Amino acid sequence: MMSALAKEKMFLALKKRGSVCSPNNHESQQKEGRWRSKHSVSTVSHVDEPSPRDEASRLTVRMENTYQLGPTRHFPVAAVNHILKDVLTAYLQEAEYDPEFCRQMTKTVSEVIKAKVKELMIPRYKLIVTVYIGQQDGQSILISSRCLWNPKSDTVSSYALRNSTLFALANVYAVYFE
Amino acid sequence: MEVYHRPCDEGGFNAEEAHNVVKECVDAVLGGEDYNHNNINQWTASIVEQSLAHLVKMGKAYKYIVTCAVAQRSAYGFHTASSCFWDTTSDGTCTVRWENRTMNCIVNVFAIAIVL
Repeated sequence: MMSALAKEKMFLALKKRGSVCSPNNHESQQKEGRWRSKHSVSTVSHVDEPSPRDEASRLTVRMENTYQLGPTRHFPVAAVNHILKDVLTAYLQEAEYDPEFCRQMTKTVSEVIKAKVKELMIPRYKLIVTVYIGQQDGQSILISSRCLWNPKSDTVSSYALRNSTLFALANVYAVYFE
Repeated sequence: MEVYHRPCDEGGFNAEEAHNVVKECVDAVLGGEDYNHNNINQWTASIVEQSLAHLVKMGKAYKYIVTCAVAQRSAYGFHTASSCFWDTTSDGTCTVRWENRTMNCIVNVFAIAIVL
């Protein structure tokens, strides 16, 4: 009886959020009625300010211990490098710099890269994809990043592309979910 | 048998606090400086390292990724976008934009929760 009620609560919460929940990512444990669902939400959000916290999803679940010390499958940096190279050259090699076009392109390219890396289906890895596109004409720019993480399991992959009018840089950070 | 209670996340990532911390770091490093090609390497490095140090001092159980882009202020356009695949209840991001007469600076902070 408890399980049916709890399951209903979960479905309601999911409906409210309006998100697509893929079965692989969904883990639930029935313990004292506290839940958390891990969603893969594909929304393109253009807001500059952080979006308000969604209270409906404030349900946490206590996961059972996997006794796993590290990832079973490491993040394939080389494969991701190829993906970045392919996507950037396909979208931007022949492109001319145009403000509206590039504004749309940065968002599109980052979504496409995220989707392709997700297709690799590396379990328990969270992804952050950042894309920088700028007009190239002699001005100077420097982009750097530092990360505080576990170097044995987490990694970054990067690719930069230049053509006559623009430059583009894409980074993928992969963080193991501990 | 004792049940292990997870430490509470305190409502996920506190973007405002991180925003303030990072803004202070950028002000400290770049405030009053003009764009200088020789120093820019050093400046980005110290912005990022100081931000990371301050974020860690906040004492939360997070992994941090801090990126910084400094560009000479000119008529040229620049766009940046990011998309993330993570747990939206516990992880978060924050962006700080800073500018002065000669340069623009954008700092992104991504925080991913560690479940202890």
